[in-house]
Amino acid sequence: MLQKADYNAAFFVAAALILFFIGGLLTTVVPPLLDQSWTKPFENNDPANGPTGKLKPLNEQQLQGRAIYVREGCWYCHTQQTRTLLADTKRSGWRGVDAPISTPDEFVYDNPHLFGTKRTGPDLSRVGGKYNEQWHMAHFRNPADLVPGSIMPPFPWIANDPKEFAALVAYMQTLGRSKNWRPDNDYEK
Amino acid sequence: MEKEEIIQDAGEIPVSTAAVYSESIHEDRTAKMFLISSIVYFFIVGIIALLIAAKFVFPTFLGTIPQLTYGRLRPLHVNGMLFGWLLACDMALMYYIVPRLCGVKLWSEKLGMATAVLWNVIILGAVVSLLMGWNQGWEYAELPLPLDVAVVVAWVMFGANLFLTIANRKYKAMYVSLWYAMGTILWTAFVYLTGNFATLFATGVNQANLNWMYVHNAVGLIFTPVGLAIAYYFIPKTSNTPLYSHKLSMIGFWSLAFVYVWTGAHHMIHGPISQWLQTITIVFSVMLLIPVWAAVYNFFSTMKGQWHQLRDNVSLKFLMSGVVFYLLTCFQGPMHSLRAVNAIVSKTDWIPGHAHMAVLGAFSFFAIAGAYYMVPRVFKTELYSNALANWSFWLFLIGGLGFFVTLWLGGFWQGWQWNNPAIPFIDTVIALKPIWHTRLASGFLMFGGIVAFAYNILATIVGSKGKEVHAEPAAAAA
Repeated sequence: MLQKADYNAAFFVAAALILFFIGGLLTTVVPPLLDQSWTKPFENNDPANGPTGKLKPLNEQQLQGRAIYVREGCWYCHTQQTRTLLADTKRSGWRGVDAPISTPDEFVYDNPHLFGTKRTGPDLSRVGGKYNEQWHMAHFRNPADLVPGSIMPPFPWIANDPKEFAALVAYMQTLGRSKNWRPDNDYEK
Repeated sequence: MEKEEIIQDAGEIPVSTAAVYSESIHEDRTAKMFLISSIVYFFIVGIIALLIAAKFVFPTFLGTIPQLTYGRLRPLHVNGMLFGWLLACDMALMYYIVPRLCGVKLWSEKLGMATAVLWNVIILGAVVSLLMGWNQGWEYAELPLPLDVAVVVAWVMFGANLFLTIANRKYKAMYVSLWYAMGTILWTAFVYLTGNFATLFATGVNQANLNWMYVHNAVGLIFTPVGLAIAYYFIPKTSNTPLYSHKLSMIGFWSLAFVYVWTGAHHMIHGPISQWLQTITIVFSVMLLIPVWAAVYNFFSTMKGQWHQLRDNVSLKFLMSGVVFYLLTCFQGPMHSLRAVNAIVSKTDWIPGHAHMAVLGAFSFFAIAGAYYMVPRVFKTELYSNALANWSFWLFLIGGLGFFVTLWLGGFWQGWQWNNPAIPFIDTVIALKPIWHTRLASGFLMFGGIVAFAYNILATIVGSKGKEVHAEPAAAAA
């Protein structure tokens, strides 16, 4: 059937594109139409349906912090997804409470998305609220001081810039907080 | 009966007919310029590769200068190798192969030269913007929008030139390499638009899904088909043996055209994306074994009774070890997509081991083989040194294996540790340090391969000035 494509370039082009577009459209355009959770922000008020909470868009300072996270390439080493693996829910957990798995509706406002592909450092999908500003200050100055053996490089130009530092920390404190999944605020109050 | 004959014809083009024309009508200015610049980037970005490998061993190395941190050098390494070296070298080889398989000159050398200039402007722009941290935040699509637009323009110029060459062709039957060249041009256009432009209109998981469609198909529908175009051309050509089966190459091509595009979301297995989509991508990922095995079986069968040629033929060494790496990497891919395996290897150091085997072990080996074959012919001279070429092969092979194998072992080990939450995360980092030392050492070997390769090619080109060796040895060796 496709032997015609050996001789006829126009037929070839049509066949190559049709075959490509079947899978191309079905896997990119169609899924968000079928699964509402890709585009509908997370909101749950009923504890019977799992963790409660509401996804809020980031404010201006948090967005600035997110831009720094993108600029410095933090996402090359830190993923932002608690996967459907028991170990992930434990590792993202805090003080004996397991973290809920990440769901698409928690990321609706993310642009660019920062799910990541490589975990050279720990996952950050539920890091919000775990460490206070002083901890982050010491950590950005020299991570290995706080975590011996860490290979994360120091970021003095962020630690020494009060505005950038505050923005980045403000962003990180939002990570994973749309779901109320653990006793309130370990340090904030 | 008649059909069989014509098909036979198509299979023989690279061995017989095209060779007659190859030394007479072609100017190859564009091919030369793309090739030279790609090799220069191979060398420069090779240094960056060593720097980032060193940062795993010495975390504070060059760490206080923002432009030289890991987070900025890594995208430069990835983009530089993918687009500065590999794609540019692949394009050079397409500018060389396509006119020969068509029996006509390239449609326009002027357009080709303009494409080469634009391509270099893009790569230099990429260096500046990535070091400055002007990063869009999408893997493989880091470059800022103006450069994305320039890439599209360059790709249209490249595609138009080759398609018009094909439209003017003298031979009616199109050999496999031409299909793969055309497939690359067409699919890349849409894959690139998805990853760099469609993503602008999406957020969250929807955007990630488009991003992975691009990331996966940048390898699967750009580097794979153009790499196979090269392999299908140079394996029969350099061993002077006709391709084993035309039918098998058809099965390989058309199944690749259908299957590859479905698999992007396998980068999100266990992640926050619909389970049914994960299952679909797993099914199609496993089906990838069909196009892969069709191509690999064809190459191995072509070499049947000809393996002794590997002893003296450096191009063939690169090509056939590239085929083995292609088989291995494409066996790993479908296996990674299985949920049970994915739970261990995903996000670990296994993945760079896998990715480097595809892009370096398979597709760069094909490109290097093509360069070794093409350069003496287009510059009408002999290769500067066969011994040095042999050295480059062994340095790449040993360095590459050292890199791939240690990262697989380390990645698997890391994945098992991650799945035991009793082990603190930092202990899984410390455990990997010996792996990263070995990776750096292997990196030095591979860089030695780059130096030997680049020096050999450049010395051949420089040496060709003034000593016009006739096309004779080239044709005889072919």
